[in-house]
Amino acid sequence: MASRLGYGSTMYQSSNSAKTLRFQALLAAWLCLLCTACSVSTITLSGEYPAPLARKLPLTIGVYYPDELRNYAYVEIDDNSGKDQYIIQSGESQVQLFNTVLPALFQNVVLLDSLDQASQHSNIDAVFVPNIEEFQLGLPSKTKLKVYEIWLKYNMRLSKTNGDYIADWVMTAYGKSPDESFQSVDAGVKDAATVAMRDLAASFTLGFTSVPGVSDWLRENNYIP
Amino acid sequence: MKECIRYLVLLPALFVAAILSGCTTTEIDEFRQGETGISGDGKIVILGRRQNNNYETEGSFVQCVARVVGSGKDGINVVPEREFLDAMFPFFEPRTAPMRTSHLRELMSIDVAREKIEEFGVEYIVWLDGLTERSEQAGSISCAIGPGGGGCFGFGTWQDDARFEAEIWDLNTLDVVGSISTDANGQSYMPALVVPIPLIARVEANACSGLGNQLKQFIKGDN
Repeated sequence: MASRLGYGSTMYQSSNSAKTLRFQALLAAWLCLLCTACSVSTITLSGEYPAPLARKLPLTIGVYYPDELRNYAYVEIDDNSGKDQYIIQSGESQVQLFNTVLPALFQNVVLLDSLDQASQHSNIDAVFVPNIEEFQLGLPSKTKLKVYEIWLKYNMRLSKTNGDYIADWVMTAYGKSPDESFQSVDAGVKDAATVAMRDLAASFTLGFTSVPGVSDWLRENNYIP
Repeated sequence: MKECIRYLVLLPALFVAAILSGCTTTEIDEFRQGETGISGDGKIVILGRRQNNNYETEGSFVQCVARVVGSGKDGINVVPEREFLDAMFPFFEPRTAPMRTSHLRELMSIDVAREKIEEFGVEYIVWLDGLTERSEQAGSISCAIGPGGGGCFGFGTWQDDARFEAEIWDLNTLDVVGSISTDANGQSYMPALVVPIPLIARVEANACSGLGNQLKQFIKGDN
Protein backbone atom coordinates (compact mmCIF):
# COMPACT_ATOMS: atom_id res chain seq x y z
CA MET A 1 0.00 0.00 0.00
CA ALA A 2 2.79 2.29 0.97
CA SER A 3 4.57 1.53 -2.24
CA ARG A 4 1.38 2.14 -4.22
CA LEU A 5 0.91 5.45 -2.49
CA GLY A 6 4.49 6.24 -3.14
CA TYR A 7 4.08 5.37 -6.79
CA GLY A 8 0.96 7.48 -7.08
CA SER A 9 2.69 10.36 -5.37
CA THR A 10 5.60 10.15 -7.85
CA MET A 11 3.14 10.17 -10.76
CA TYR A 12 1.43 13.19 -9.32
CA GLN A 13 4.77 14.97 -8.88
CA SER A 14 5.86 14.08 -12.37
CA SER A 15 2.59 15.33 -13.88
CA ASN A 16 2.89 18.47 -11.77
CA SER A 17 6.44 19.15 -12.91
CA ALA A 18 5.41 18.57 -16.54
CA LYS A 19 2.69 21.17 -16.13
CA THR A 20 5.18 23.57 -14.53
CA LEU A 21 7.60 22.97 -17.40
CA ARG A 22 4.87 23.59 -19.98
CA PHE A 23 3.86 26.76 -18.15
CA GLN A 24 7.48 27.93 -18.04
CA ALA A 25 7.91 27.23 -21.74
CA LEU A 26 4.73 29.16 -22.56
CA LEU A 27 5.85 32.04 -20.35
CA ALA A 28 9.28 32.07 -21.99
CA ALA A 29 7.71 32.07 -25.47
CA TRP A 30 5.35 34.88 -24.48
CA LEU A 31 8.23 36.90 -23.02
CA CYS A 32 10.28 36.31 -26.18
CA LEU A 33 7.36 37.53 -28.30
CA LEU A 34 7.00 40.58 -26.07
CA CYS A 35 10.71 41.33 -26.28
CA THR A 36 10.71 40.94 -30.08
CA ALA A 37 7.77 43.31 -30.35
CA CYS A 38 9.53 45.93 -28.24
CA SER A 39 13.09 45.52 -29.43
CA VAL A 40 14.78 47.73 -31.98
CA SER A 41 15.24 46.25 -35.42
CA THR A 42 18.56 46.71 -37.21
CA ILE A 43 18.54 46.91 -40.99
CA THR A 44 21.91 46.70 -42.69
CA LEU A 45 21.81 48.08 -46.21
CA SER A 46 23.63 46.18 -48.86
CA GLY A 47 23.33 46.03 -52.57
CA GLU A 48 25.16 45.66 -55.80
CA TYR A 49 25.28 48.72 -57.99
CA PRO A 50 26.01 48.73 -61.69
CA ALA A 51 29.02 50.64 -62.98
CA PRO A 52 27.78 53.72 -64.82
CA LEU A 53 28.21 54.18 -68.56
CA ALA A 54 30.56 57.11 -68.88
CA ARG A 55 33.61 58.32 -70.72
CA LYS A 56 36.43 58.24 -68.14
CA LEU A 57 38.03 61.53 -67.23
CA PRO A 58 41.84 61.44 -67.56
CA LEU A 59 42.35 61.95 -63.84
CA THR A 60 43.86 60.11 -60.91
CA ILE A 61 41.60 60.72 -57.96
CA GLY A 62 42.42 59.98 -54.35
CA VAL A 63 39.33 59.12 -52.37
CA TYR A 64 38.99 59.31 -48.62
CA TYR A 65 35.93 57.94 -46.83
CA PRO A 66 35.55 59.62 -43.41
CA ASP A 67 34.58 57.44 -40.45
CA GLU A 68 31.21 59.26 -40.26
CA LEU A 69 30.38 57.88 -43.71
CA ARG A 70 31.87 54.42 -43.14
CA ASN A 71 29.94 53.92 -39.89
CA TYR A 72 26.81 55.91 -40.66
CA ALA A 73 23.65 54.61 -38.99
CA TYR A 74 20.25 56.29 -39.02
CA VAL A 75 17.90 55.76 -36.09
CA GLU A 76 14.13 55.91 -36.67
CA ILE A 77 12.20 56.75 -33.51
CA ASP A 78 8.85 55.20 -32.69
CA ASP A 79 6.32 58.07 -32.51
CA ASN A 80 4.30 56.40 -29.77
CA SER A 81 6.96 55.15 -27.38
CA GLY A 82 9.72 57.63 -28.25
CA LYS A 83 12.16 54.71 -28.34
CA ASP A 84 14.41 53.54 -31.17
CA GLN A 85 12.35 51.59 -33.70
CA TYR A 86 14.78 50.91 -36.54
CA ILE A 87 18.52 51.35 -36.89
CA ILE A 88 19.55 51.55 -40.52
CA GLN A 89 23.23 50.91 -41.08
CA SER A 90 24.20 52.29 -44.46
CA GLY A 91 27.95 53.03 -44.22
CA GLU A 92 29.22 49.90 -45.91
CA SER A 93 26.68 50.21 -48.71
CA GLN A 94 27.66 53.82 -49.43
CA VAL A 95 31.36 52.97 -49.61
CA GLN A 96 30.48 50.12 -51.96
CA LEU A 97 28.54 52.53 -54.17
CA PHE A 98 31.40 55.02 -54.48
CA ASN A 99 33.86 52.19 -55.07
CA THR A 100 31.75 51.18 -58.08
CA VAL A 101 31.05 54.65 -59.46
CA LEU A 102 34.45 56.34 -59.15
CA PRO A 103 36.50 53.81 -61.19
CA ALA A 104 33.94 54.16 -63.99
CA LEU A 105 34.27 57.94 -63.98
CA PHE A 106 38.02 58.43 -63.49
CA GLN A 107 41.05 56.86 -65.13
CA ASN A 108 42.60 55.90 -61.78
CA VAL A 109 41.26 55.83 -58.24
CA VAL A 110 43.50 55.61 -55.18
CA LEU A 111 41.91 54.75 -51.83
CA LEU A 112 43.35 56.82 -49.01
CA ASP A 113 43.37 55.84 -45.33
CA SER A 114 43.85 59.46 -44.31
CA LEU A 115 43.88 62.86 -45.99
CA ASP A 116 47.59 63.22 -45.18
CA GLN A 117 48.36 60.25 -47.42
CA ALA A 118 47.39 62.27 -50.52
CA SER A 119 50.65 64.21 -50.53
CA GLN A 120 52.60 60.91 -50.61
CA HIS A 121 51.12 60.02 -54.00
CA SER A 122 52.65 62.31 -56.60
CA ASN A 123 50.33 61.12 -59.37
CA ILE A 124 47.08 62.12 -57.61
CA ASP A 125 45.37 65.07 -59.33
CA ALA A 126 42.70 65.72 -56.73
CA VAL A 127 41.24 64.30 -53.52
CA PHE A 128 37.55 63.49 -53.29
CA VAL A 129 35.80 63.25 -49.90
CA PRO A 130 32.11 62.29 -49.83
CA ASN A 131 30.14 62.61 -46.61
CA ILE A 132 26.53 62.07 -45.64
CA GLU A 133 24.73 64.98 -43.99
CA GLU A 134 21.15 63.79 -43.71
CA PHE A 135 19.11 60.62 -43.98
CA GLN A 136 15.32 60.57 -43.88
CA LEU A 137 13.00 57.62 -43.93
CA GLY A 138 9.31 57.50 -44.86
CA LEU A 139 7.51 54.38 -43.69
CA PRO A 140 4.04 53.59 -45.10
CA SER A 141 2.77 53.13 -41.53
CA LYS A 142 3.65 56.77 -40.80
CA THR A 143 3.18 58.58 -44.12
CA LYS A 144 0.02 56.62 -45.07
CA LEU A 145 1.42 56.38 -48.61
CA LYS A 146 1.83 53.00 -50.26
CA VAL A 147 5.56 53.47 -50.67
CA TYR A 148 8.74 53.27 -48.62
CA GLU A 149 10.78 56.43 -49.15
CA ILE A 150 14.37 57.43 -48.44
CA TRP A 151 15.96 60.87 -48.82
CA LEU A 152 19.72 61.34 -48.66
CA LYS A 153 21.74 64.52 -48.49
CA TYR A 154 25.48 64.42 -49.14
CA ASN A 155 28.31 66.87 -48.99
CA MET A 156 30.95 66.29 -51.62
CA ARG A 157 34.36 67.89 -51.46
CA LEU A 158 37.08 68.01 -54.07
CA SER A 159 40.45 69.45 -53.11
CA LYS A 160 44.02 69.56 -54.35
CA THR A 161 46.60 67.22 -52.80
CA ASN A 162 47.91 70.05 -50.63
CA GLY A 163 44.41 70.54 -49.23
CA ASP A 164 43.52 73.61 -51.31
CA TYR A 165 39.84 73.91 -52.11
CA ILE A 166 38.53 73.05 -55.59
CA ALA A 167 34.81 72.57 -54.96
CA ASP A 168 32.35 71.78 -52.20
CA TRP A 169 28.80 70.91 -53.19
CA VAL A 170 25.62 69.33 -51.85
CA MET A 171 23.85 66.43 -53.53
CA THR A 172 20.46 64.98 -52.70
CA ALA A 173 19.04 61.62 -53.64
CA TYR A 174 15.60 60.05 -53.38
CA GLY A 175 14.36 56.51 -53.63
CA LYS A 176 11.03 54.82 -53.18
CA SER A 177 9.68 51.30 -53.43
CA PRO A 178 6.06 50.14 -53.42
CA ASP A 179 4.62 48.68 -50.23
CA GLU A 180 3.67 45.23 -51.51
CA SER A 181 1.50 42.68 -49.71
CA PHE A 182 3.31 40.49 -47.19
CA GLN A 183 6.52 42.49 -47.68
CA SER A 184 8.67 43.05 -44.61
CA VAL A 185 9.75 46.54 -43.54
CA ASP A 186 13.32 45.32 -43.92
CA ALA A 187 12.80 44.49 -47.61
CA GLY A 188 10.87 47.71 -48.30
CA VAL A 189 13.58 49.90 -46.74
CA LYS A 190 16.35 48.04 -48.57
CA ASP A 191 14.60 48.42 -51.94
CA ALA A 192 14.00 52.15 -51.40
CA ALA A 193 17.62 52.61 -50.29
CA THR A 194 18.91 50.86 -53.41
CA VAL A 195 16.85 53.21 -55.59
CA ALA A 196 18.13 56.23 -53.62
CA MET A 197 21.74 55.10 -53.92
CA ARG A 198 21.32 54.58 -57.67
CA ASP A 199 19.77 58.03 -57.88
CA LEU A 200 22.81 59.49 -56.16
CA ALA A 201 25.18 57.62 -58.44
CA ALA A 202 23.22 58.74 -61.52
CA SER A 203 23.24 62.41 -60.49
CA PHE A 204 26.92 62.25 -59.57
CA THR A 205 27.93 60.62 -62.84
CA LEU A 206 25.91 62.91 -65.07
CA GLY A 207 26.50 66.07 -63.09
CA PHE A 208 30.12 65.88 -61.93
CA THR A 209 31.64 67.92 -64.75
CA SER A 210 28.90 70.55 -64.41
CA VAL A 211 29.53 71.36 -60.75
CA PRO A 212 30.70 75.03 -60.91
CA GLY A 213 34.05 74.70 -59.10
CA VAL A 214 34.82 71.32 -60.64
CA SER A 215 33.98 72.47 -64.15
CA ASP A 216 36.30 75.50 -63.86
CA TRP A 217 39.13 73.39 -62.50
CA LEU A 218 38.74 70.73 -65.21
CA ARG A 219 38.84 73.40 -67.95
CA GLU A 220 41.78 75.25 -66.39
CA ASN A 221 43.77 72.02 -66.40
CA ASN A 222 42.55 70.96 -69.87
CA TYR A 223 40.93 67.78 -68.63
CA ILE A 224 37.79 68.65 -70.60
CA PRO A 225 37.45 70.91 -73.66
CA MET B 1 -18.82 6.64 -51.45
CA LYS B 2 -17.04 9.23 -49.33
CA GLU B 3 -15.06 10.29 -52.40
CA CYS B 4 -18.31 10.77 -54.37
CA ILE B 5 -19.79 12.96 -51.63
CA ARG B 6 -16.61 15.00 -51.54
CA TYR B 7 -16.80 15.58 -55.31
CA LEU B 8 -20.51 16.44 -55.09
CA VAL B 9 -19.65 19.18 -52.60
CA LEU B 10 -16.52 20.34 -54.38
CA LEU B 11 -17.87 20.59 -57.93
CA PRO B 12 -20.62 23.15 -57.27
CA ALA B 13 -18.19 25.12 -55.10
CA LEU B 14 -15.63 25.18 -57.91
CA PHE B 15 -18.35 26.09 -60.42
CA VAL B 16 -19.50 29.04 -58.30
CA ALA B 17 -15.89 30.04 -57.73
CA ALA B 18 -15.18 29.95 -61.46
CA ILE B 19 -18.23 32.10 -62.24
CA LEU B 20 -17.55 34.59 -59.49
CA SER B 21 -13.83 34.86 -60.07
CA GLY B 22 -14.51 35.39 -63.76
CA CYS B 23 -16.35 38.67 -63.11
CA THR B 24 -13.73 40.87 -64.71
CA THR B 25 -14.20 43.26 -67.60
CA THR B 26 -11.24 44.43 -69.63
CA GLU B 27 -11.26 47.28 -72.11
CA ILE B 28 -8.32 47.91 -74.44
CA ASP B 29 -7.84 51.03 -76.56
CA GLU B 30 -5.18 51.42 -79.19
CA PHE B 31 -3.93 54.61 -80.77
CA ARG B 32 -1.57 54.27 -83.70
CA GLN B 33 0.62 57.14 -84.86
CA GLY B 34 3.08 55.40 -87.12
CA GLU B 35 3.98 52.24 -89.00
CA THR B 36 5.53 49.39 -87.02
CA GLY B 37 7.22 46.10 -87.72
CA ILE B 38 10.08 44.14 -86.24
CA SER B 39 12.85 42.06 -87.77
CA GLY B 40 13.23 38.38 -86.84
CA ASP B 41 15.99 38.93 -84.33
CA GLY B 42 14.82 42.41 -83.35
CA LYS B 43 14.27 43.10 -79.68
CA ILE B 44 12.13 45.37 -77.58
CA VAL B 45 12.40 46.45 -73.97
CA ILE B 46 9.43 47.08 -71.66
CA LEU B 47 10.11 49.58 -68.89
CA GLY B 48 7.93 50.72 -65.99
CA ARG B 49 7.48 54.43 -65.33
CA ARG B 50 8.55 55.27 -61.78
CA GLN B 51 8.36 59.04 -61.73
CA ASN B 52 4.98 59.49 -60.05
CA ASN B 53 5.00 60.63 -56.42
CA ASN B 54 2.22 58.43 -55.07
CA TYR B 55 2.78 55.20 -56.92
CA GLU B 56 5.10 53.43 -59.26
CA THR B 57 4.38 50.88 -61.92
CA GLU B 58 4.92 47.51 -60.28
CA GLY B 59 7.88 45.51 -61.49
CA SER B 60 5.76 42.34 -61.38
CA PHE B 61 3.29 43.85 -63.89
CA VAL B 62 6.11 44.85 -66.21
CA GLN B 63 7.51 41.32 -66.00
CA CYS B 64 4.06 39.86 -66.67
CA VAL B 65 3.55 41.94 -69.85
CA ALA B 66 7.08 41.05 -71.00
CA ARG B 67 6.27 37.37 -70.49
CA VAL B 68 3.06 37.63 -72.56
CA VAL B 69 4.80 39.55 -75.37
CA GLY B 70 7.67 37.07 -75.42
CA SER B 71 5.56 33.90 -75.34
CA GLY B 72 3.95 31.91 -78.12
CA LYS B 73 4.99 31.18 -81.69
CA ASP B 74 4.66 34.85 -82.58
CA GLY B 75 6.58 35.95 -79.47
CA ILE B 76 8.94 38.93 -79.67
CA ASN B 77 12.40 38.98 -78.04
CA VAL B 78 12.10 41.09 -74.91
CA VAL B 79 15.18 42.32 -73.06
CA PRO B 80 14.58 41.90 -69.31
CA GLU B 81 13.92 45.27 -67.67
CA ARG B 82 16.53 44.88 -64.90
CA GLU B 83 19.24 43.80 -67.35
CA PHE B 84 18.53 46.82 -69.56
CA LEU B 85 18.40 49.30 -66.65
CA ASP B 86 21.69 48.03 -65.22
CA ALA B 87 23.45 48.04 -68.57
CA MET B 88 22.14 51.52 -69.43
CA PHE B 89 22.85 52.93 -65.95
CA PRO B 90 22.57 55.91 -65.26
CA PHE B 91 20.39 56.91 -68.24
CA PHE B 92 17.10 55.18 -67.39
CA GLU B 93 16.81 55.86 -63.65
CA PRO B 94 13.60 57.51 -62.34
CA ARG B 95 15.19 60.97 -62.37
CA THR B 96 17.20 60.63 -65.58
CA ALA B 97 14.98 58.54 -67.85
CA PRO B 98 13.73 60.25 -71.01
CA MET B 99 10.16 61.44 -70.51
CA ARG B 100 9.58 62.55 -74.09
CA THR B 101 11.04 61.58 -77.43
CA SER B 102 12.92 64.89 -77.53
CA HIS B 103 14.82 63.62 -74.47
CA LEU B 104 15.39 60.32 -76.25
CA ARG B 105 17.00 62.22 -79.16
CA GLU B 106 19.31 63.96 -76.67
CA LEU B 107 20.14 60.60 -75.10
CA MET B 108 20.96 59.06 -78.47
CA SER B 109 23.43 61.87 -79.12
CA ILE B 110 25.54 60.53 -76.23
CA ASP B 111 27.98 58.01 -77.72
CA VAL B 112 28.12 55.54 -74.83
CA ALA B 113 24.32 55.39 -74.53
CA ARG B 114 23.69 54.99 -78.26
CA GLU B 115 26.38 52.32 -78.60
CA LYS B 116 24.91 50.30 -75.71
CA ILE B 117 21.37 50.46 -77.15
CA GLU B 118 22.69 49.37 -80.54
CA GLU B 119 24.58 46.54 -78.83
CA PHE B 120 21.30 45.29 -77.36
CA GLY B 121 19.61 45.43 -80.76
CA VAL B 122 16.55 47.09 -79.26
CA GLU B 123 14.13 48.46 -81.88
CA TYR B 124 11.32 49.64 -79.62
CA ILE B 125 11.04 50.95 -76.08
CA VAL B 126 7.67 50.40 -74.41
CA TRP B 127 6.90 52.56 -71.39
CA LEU B 128 4.30 51.13 -69.03
CA ASP B 129 2.56 53.44 -66.60
CA GLY B 130 -0.30 52.66 -64.25
CA LEU B 131 -1.48 50.94 -61.15
CA THR B 132 -4.17 48.76 -59.65
CA GLU B 133 -6.44 50.48 -57.16
CA ARG B 134 -8.75 48.84 -54.65
CA SER B 135 -12.09 50.43 -53.86
CA GLU B 136 -15.62 49.72 -52.63
CA GLN B 137 -14.43 47.51 -49.80
CA ALA B 138 -17.34 46.23 -47.74
CA GLY B 139 -18.20 43.57 -45.18
CA SER B 140 -16.20 42.09 -42.39
CA ILE B 141 -14.77 38.75 -41.39
CA SER B 142 -14.02 37.80 -37.83
CA CYS B 143 -11.91 34.86 -36.84
CA ALA B 144 -11.61 33.23 -33.44
CA ILE B 145 -9.47 30.50 -31.98
CA GLY B 146 -10.09 28.50 -28.82
CA PRO B 147 -9.08 25.27 -27.14
CA GLY B 148 -11.59 23.32 -29.24
CA GLY B 149 -10.42 24.79 -32.55
CA GLY B 150 -10.95 27.93 -34.56
CA GLY B 151 -12.80 29.39 -37.47
CA CYS B 152 -13.90 32.46 -39.35
CA PHE B 153 -17.32 33.89 -40.12
CA GLY B 154 -18.38 36.77 -42.28
CA PHE B 155 -18.28 38.15 -45.79
CA GLY B 156 -15.97 40.60 -47.51
CA THR B 157 -16.03 42.14 -50.95
CA TRP B 158 -13.94 44.69 -52.84
CA GLN B 159 -13.37 46.02 -56.33
CA ASP B 160 -10.02 46.18 -58.10
CA ASP B 161 -9.43 48.57 -60.97
CA ALA B 162 -6.27 48.18 -63.05
CA ARG B 163 -5.43 51.05 -65.40
CA PHE B 164 -2.27 50.87 -67.43
CA GLU B 165 -0.98 52.64 -70.50
CA ALA B 166 1.80 51.55 -72.80
CA GLU B 167 3.56 54.12 -74.96
CA ILE B 168 5.68 52.74 -77.77
CA TRP B 169 8.82 54.54 -78.96
CA ASP B 170 10.50 53.60 -82.20
CA LEU B 171 14.28 53.74 -81.83
CA ASN B 172 14.83 54.08 -85.59
CA THR B 173 12.67 57.16 -86.05
CA LEU B 174 13.09 58.29 -82.40
CA ASP B 175 9.38 59.03 -82.30
CA VAL B 176 6.21 57.77 -80.64
CA VAL B 177 4.45 55.22 -82.84
CA GLY B 178 1.40 54.67 -80.68
CA SER B 179 -0.09 53.87 -77.34
CA ILE B 180 -2.28 51.15 -75.90
CA SER B 181 -4.33 51.58 -72.77
CA THR B 182 -6.13 48.97 -70.75
CA ASP B 183 -8.75 49.31 -68.06
CA ALA B 184 -9.74 46.14 -66.23
CA ASN B 185 -12.00 45.95 -63.24
CA GLY B 186 -13.58 43.21 -61.26
CA GLN B 187 -15.30 42.40 -58.01
CA SER B 188 -13.74 39.95 -55.55
CA TYR B 189 -15.61 38.12 -52.80
CA MET B 190 -14.47 36.41 -49.64
CA PRO B 191 -17.21 34.44 -47.86
CA ALA B 192 -16.04 32.80 -44.65
CA LEU B 193 -17.90 29.93 -43.07
CA VAL B 194 -15.34 28.37 -40.76
CA VAL B 195 -12.79 28.63 -43.59
CA PRO B 196 -12.46 31.80 -45.72
CA ILE B 197 -13.03 31.06 -49.43
CA PRO B 198 -11.30 33.69 -51.56
CA LEU B 199 -13.03 34.28 -54.91
CA ILE B 200 -10.56 36.70 -56.38
CA ALA B 201 -11.15 38.56 -59.63
CA ARG B 202 -7.93 38.29 -61.64
CA VAL B 203 -7.99 41.94 -62.64
CA GLU B 204 -4.29 42.64 -63.01
CA ALA B 205 -3.66 39.29 -64.71
CA ASN B 206 -6.38 40.06 -67.27
CA ALA B 207 -5.02 43.57 -67.82
CA CYS B 208 -1.58 42.04 -68.32
CA SER B 209 -2.61 39.41 -70.85
CA GLY B 210 -4.89 41.84 -72.73
CA LEU B 211 -2.22 44.52 -72.95
CA GLY B 212 0.57 42.05 -73.72
CA ASN B 213 -1.27 40.40 -76.64
CA GLN B 214 -2.35 43.74 -78.10
CA LEU B 215 1.20 45.07 -77.78
CA LYS B 216 2.58 42.04 -79.60
CA GLN B 217 0.20 42.59 -82.54
CA PHE B 218 0.86 46.32 -82.54
CA ILE B 219 4.63 46.00 -82.77
CA LYS B 220 4.45 43.30 -85.42
CA GLY B 221 2.18 45.60 -87.39
CA ASP B 222 -0.56 42.96 -87.61
CA ASN B 223 -3.42 45.42 -87.09
